[in-house]
Amino acid sequence: MKSVFILIVSACMSMSVVAQQPQEGESPTKPSAQQPAPTDQQQVEPQPTAKQWLQRLSNSLRQLNFDTSFVVVRNNRAEPYRWLHGIEDGRELELISLLNGPRKEAVRVDNTVSYFESNQQPYSVTTDSISGPIPRAFTSDIEKVHQSYDLVEVGKSRILGRPAQLIRLVSKDKQRFGYWVWLDIESGLLLKAAIINGEGELLEQIQFTHLTISEHSNEMLKQLLEAELPKTHDNPLEVSQAQLNWRVNWLPNGFDMLESNQHFVETINLPVDFLLFNDGLVDVSVYVSATDEAPRKSSINQTGATVLLSQIREGYEINVVGKVPAQTANAIADSITFN
Amino acid sequence: MSNKNSESISAFLDSYETEGLSIDDLKQDHQQLDTFGRYHMIGDIMRGETGQYIMPDLANNIAVAIAAEPTVLAPQKAPSLAHRVKAKVVQFTKPAGQFAIAASAAGLMVLGVQQANVVEEESLVPSQVFQPMPFGGVADPVSYNFEKPSITQQKQDLIKRQQKLQAILLDHQKQIKLQASSSQPEQRQEQPEK
Repeated sequence: MKSVFILIVSACMSMSVVAQQPQEGESPTKPSAQQPAPTDQQQVEPQPTAKQWLQRLSNSLRQLNFDTSFVVVRNNRAEPYRWLHGIEDGRELELISLLNGPRKEAVRVDNTVSYFESNQQPYSVTTDSISGPIPRAFTSDIEKVHQSYDLVEVGKSRILGRPAQLIRLVSKDKQRFGYWVWLDIESGLLLKAAIINGEGELLEQIQFTHLTISEHSNEMLKQLLEAELPKTHDNPLEVSQAQLNWRVNWLPNGFDMLESNQHFVETINLPVDFLLFNDGLVDVSVYVSATDEAPRKSSINQTGATVLLSQIREGYEINVVGKVPAQTANAIADSITFN
Repeated sequence: MSNKNSESISAFLDSYETEGLSIDDLKQDHQQLDTFGRYHMIGDIMRGETGQYIMPDLANNIAVAIAAEPTVLAPQKAPSLAHRVKAKVVQFTKPAGQFAIAASAAGLMVLGVQQANVVEEESLVPSQVFQPMPFGGVADPVSYNFEKPSITQQKQDLIKRQQKLQAILLDHQKQIKLQASSSQPEQRQEQPEK
């Protein structure tokens, strides 16, 4: 065990020495501001559109070997993460781990994602992307996102010492937050992301602090190939596809239901009816549970961009959680009717 | 006007000349006489020249006041800070059932993260900007709660609600994680552009 640690630590140290050297010729150079404008009219390459940029992001996140660190900033709290991705023996390997506080990490081997958290049993899920600080939408189909957001190419700036292209995901209505992403012009990878509310205020951001793109995948990732991953999550108390005696009558356009079940909320053992909606970028959960408490108007708690709205009426407690504006959460909660 | 009067009395007391105020005038007006006396008393006390003469009276008054106080048998215990702290920490102190590869992967973290392990990862500390309601949504002014026990009860309810919100937030994140990806990018291999 000890020798493993030493090995890893030395590997990390050597990596950080090599770090910050973007490898030239790693990816085909992009048509970009880096190149002097061609004088010959025939050779003018079309500027990639915002959508193409995001497709490229998705490809880069799946195909490149990278080792990167980033910090998620919300309220006055910063959470540092390390994120590794690589291809080894034709298998896609990925690791995201929180570096401060109790351990929290996720690893992915092809289509198996395993989560390790300090306060619960590790479990695996069959999916092709890790759910964590980086929005899943960045590695999946951009078409879905495009239905609810306008993709706008804004301008270039310098992030993490690299030339970057800023792309804005602007909500087509006022029911959701906007996302700004800064992409590395050279590799197409993410360098910074921010969630902005309707008033243009910054709610949450992800700032990368280090990025190394390499020819080969990281040693740490290779170990994942030999690791025995935990079993698939199985909750015996969960009733999926349950018949619920209530319904949500309003959602912003573009939100589809991903999940409908009845389960117990851990630690407080509260039985809840649960619905999960997604618009390609943002997840919204609706919880309904019976309660004998007195009716209460909506109260909002917000951390970063995540809003938790809670109200009690007609003998039910309704909680709406997600990275949406409070008004949206409130409208969703208010639209619920009971049979 | 009485302020002005007091000023002149004070000045008179300090042997300054004051217009239209003599010892005879003072004798005429009870209120002014009282003030005059009081100022002398204050001066005496400050100079420590009171002697014994006010003590019996004062002591008697205190004795009477004490006798008149209702007897408090069991003072209400104030909700201690420990309650709150405990409530916040409880879900993060569970023992870690852990796993081998994560351990190796986390090698560098293990070295760096020996200190303060009790960091809440998603605290519900409301941001300054977004706080339309007090935390638990309990908006009653404190003055409504004339029964002391109900305040304690409220605090406990608040803690309970906070725990509940925390649990729901964590559950929300977990439910998202449990989703098998529904939106498989189908044209993943396709190069974006060239």
